[in-house]
Amino acid sequence: MPGYVTRKFIELIITLVLVSLAIFLVLRLLPGDPAQIVLGINASPESLARLRAELGLDKPLHVQYLNWLRGLLTGDLGNSIFYEKSVGALISSRMAVTIPLTFLATFLSITFALPLGIYAAIHHREPGDFGIIALSQLGISVPAFWLGILALLLFSVKLNLLPSGGFIEWGASPVGAIRSLTLPVVTLAIIQSAALTRMTRSSALEVLSQDYVTAARGRGLPEIRVLSKHVLSNSLISIITLIGLQMGQLLAGAVIVESVFHLPGLGRLLILAVEQRDLQLVQGIVTVLVGAIITINYLVDLAYGILDPRIRLT
Amino acid sequence: MITSFRWKIVVLSVLVVLATVQLPLVAGASKPKYGGTLRVALPAEPPGLDPTTHTAAVIDRVLYNNVYQGLVRINRDGEVVPSLARDWEVSEDGTVYTFYLREGVSFHNGKKFTSEDVRFTFERAMSDATTVPHPEYFAPIEKIEAPSTTTVRINLSRPSSIFLFNLARGDAVILPRGVEGLSSRPVGTGPFKFKTWKRGSNLSLTSYEDYYDRKLPYLEEVIFEFIGDVNTRITSLKSGGIDAIAYLSSPENAVSLKELGSIKVLTGVTTWEVILAMNNSRKPFSDPLVRKAINYALDRKEIIEGATFGFGKPIGSLMSPTNPNHLDLSWLYPHEPEKARKLLKESGYPDGFEATLTLPATYELSLRSGKIVADQVKKVGIDLKIEKISWAQWLQRVFTNAEYDLTIIGHSEAFDISIYGDPNYYFNYDNERLQRVLEKAERETDEKTRSQLYSVAQWIIAEDVPSAFLFSAPSLPAMRNEIMNWWKDYPIPAVDVTEVWIDD
Repeated sequence: MPGYVTRKFIELIITLVLVSLAIFLVLRLLPGDPAQIVLGINASPESLARLRAELGLDKPLHVQYLNWLRGLLTGDLGNSIFYEKSVGALISSRMAVTIPLTFLATFLSITFALPLGIYAAIHHREPGDFGIIALSQLGISVPAFWLGILALLLFSVKLNLLPSGGFIEWGASPVGAIRSLTLPVVTLAIIQSAALTRMTRSSALEVLSQDYVTAARGRGLPEIRVLSKHVLSNSLISIITLIGLQMGQLLAGAVIVESVFHLPGLGRLLILAVEQRDLQLVQGIVTVLVGAIITINYLVDLAYGILDPRIRLT
Repeated sequence: MITSFRWKIVVLSVLVVLATVQLPLVAGASKPKYGGTLRVALPAEPPGLDPTTHTAAVIDRVLYNNVYQGLVRINRDGEVVPSLARDWEVSEDGTVYTFYLREGVSFHNGKKFTSEDVRFTFERAMSDATTVPHPEYFAPIEKIEAPSTTTVRINLSRPSSIFLFNLARGDAVILPRGVEGLSSRPVGTGPFKFKTWKRGSNLSLTSYEDYYDRKLPYLEEVIFEFIGDVNTRITSLKSGGIDAIAYLSSPENAVSLKELGSIKVLTGVTTWEVILAMNNSRKPFSDPLVRKAINYALDRKEIIEGATFGFGKPIGSLMSPTNPNHLDLSWLYPHEPEKARKLLKESGYPDGFEATLTLPATYELSLRSGKIVADQVKKVGIDLKIEKISWAQWLQRVFTNAEYDLTIIGHSEAFDISIYGDPNYYFNYDNERLQRVLEKAERETDEKTRSQLYSVAQWIIAEDVPSAFLFSAPSLPAMRNEIMNWWKDYPIPAVDVTEVWIDD
């Protein structure tokens, strides 16, 4: 186990360095001068040159990169040009939206998907199964922004039950925060659960055809125990893999839903940073995301070991 | 002297009007109510909050006159009017400006406003240690003196007729002496003071209790919500999550919002001139005949209908209809495809030619106009390949390096006609006669002569068409019916809510 952790940690460092180097180079290759974006199209050349010097953009590339790495080692991700605020503070304030959004959507998606998927598998090729397949197909094909707008029109404009967007901070009102996250969470959960239902159904179907399930039923085990002990736990490996992937996607990929509901999440911050060529901010966010995704993968690996003792973490 | 004289006439005539018209008649319509919170949607968030070191128009939209005030300001009719200076005088030769400052004004940090603050502000802007986007606004300043706490004298090295207008811009708002950290905590003299900025969400202002004009502001609090998605802005307005959309970027929604009955949409003009810019150093656009042919091929009515649902205003030169010097020249090139074909033949392109129309993908008005323009010029044989690029790429390729044939873009700065006098600007347009006229206009101190010179400049540009001028974008602020006294036109990029009130 300690060996495994060390190995994963080294893996994390190497990945982070490679990813940050790639992002650093790609951003500098992109056309667009951050100083010009800040000062606008009528700025004088002297002002541009001065701002470039202030931002350190006139230094050679390797010096810029090494400066950034040095900052990272001391926990300083630099400053955002756009907001003129520390990147670390910006990311942590966005986490107050992104983390609850990710976890609540994942939790809700699992509570929809597992029962539906198993139900469909048990009632294979029956009307219930077809219904669930059709619904999940719909969920996969519906674009997130459209579902979001529909939800807004119904719950906010027509019924006036929930706010039409924006985020009330946890400190200001926890109830308000939950209310502002409700529609986005449900929208994301519907879309995530569609894929998850299909995955649950197909893995459960595979397990149901195994001899040990027939044997368990033959031993007269109650159906509920067959399902929970044998079917579910043996299907979980592929389900958890998908959940891990989906959570990684949600961290930065919820940007469309964040825009529709006008939420200050990490995804929108990343898009803004790229558009504004806010180089330090992009690098900071990507570094944090890569770290988070690698951590999720690590947790998924740990879960494998618990679910299936044959998988050893050595 | 002239300006000061003019201002006195305005005051005088207002007094006459007030004396003759019974006041209750005016107030009878509806009397402003105090209190309430106004939520305004803006599509973009400001990059920092210092209008003096950043050019982004959205900083001015949020803070201009609401939080920050200059010596003078632009009012809702596009005129330069007193703000922190209650009056001013200009010497005969146009090189000495004396400003008489308002008394009893304090900054939001409690400090008293004096002539030293004015001196600090302009010296800061001119100092090498400060990066300002437009050093040219302050370049004519030779010396700033503060003979008393309420008088400021500015000596210019040369007369500049646009100097006063430049002082009215967001770039020249007055800051308290020795202030720092303005990009996250603005400190001004306006009727609203800064409260919070939740990055990624909103920015809120509250009324300033010590504002010198006791009658203002009407609102208790103003919250600017930064909502990037156009549909979310609309649904938020419909559901009551916000009270107003400062700029309706999708004119097609104006009609459906009005039909609701509970929402009103004002139709005004802006300083946002949408033009088809041509690279005048590239063939065939270096030939004025080709540029004229393109102009005759365009049907502005159709473009305005298609891109702005008919809300835009046709223009013939680069001067906003909000500017008092504006001359309507939109009639100069009517839609005459036959003439366009003839001109193309004369210029040696009887079968037309191929070119690329580069469009910034972020600007909906550019994209919509681009498709219509390409379709219209195709009918006279000009085949345009449309190329969409990101804003950052546009800045680099088109604006900085001038690597383009044609592009469509909105020029939003107020009073920006002088860009056609700069041969290094991305139009690559070098017209000595125009440069002389613009230079003369800028030095002219007599208001009438100056206005005539600007008319000549507009005429030269309209005639020689270095760019094709399409339309002035509509302002289209949309709000619930109870929001009163909103600016119909936007003669300066500002959402000035100092006189807005809610009739609840």
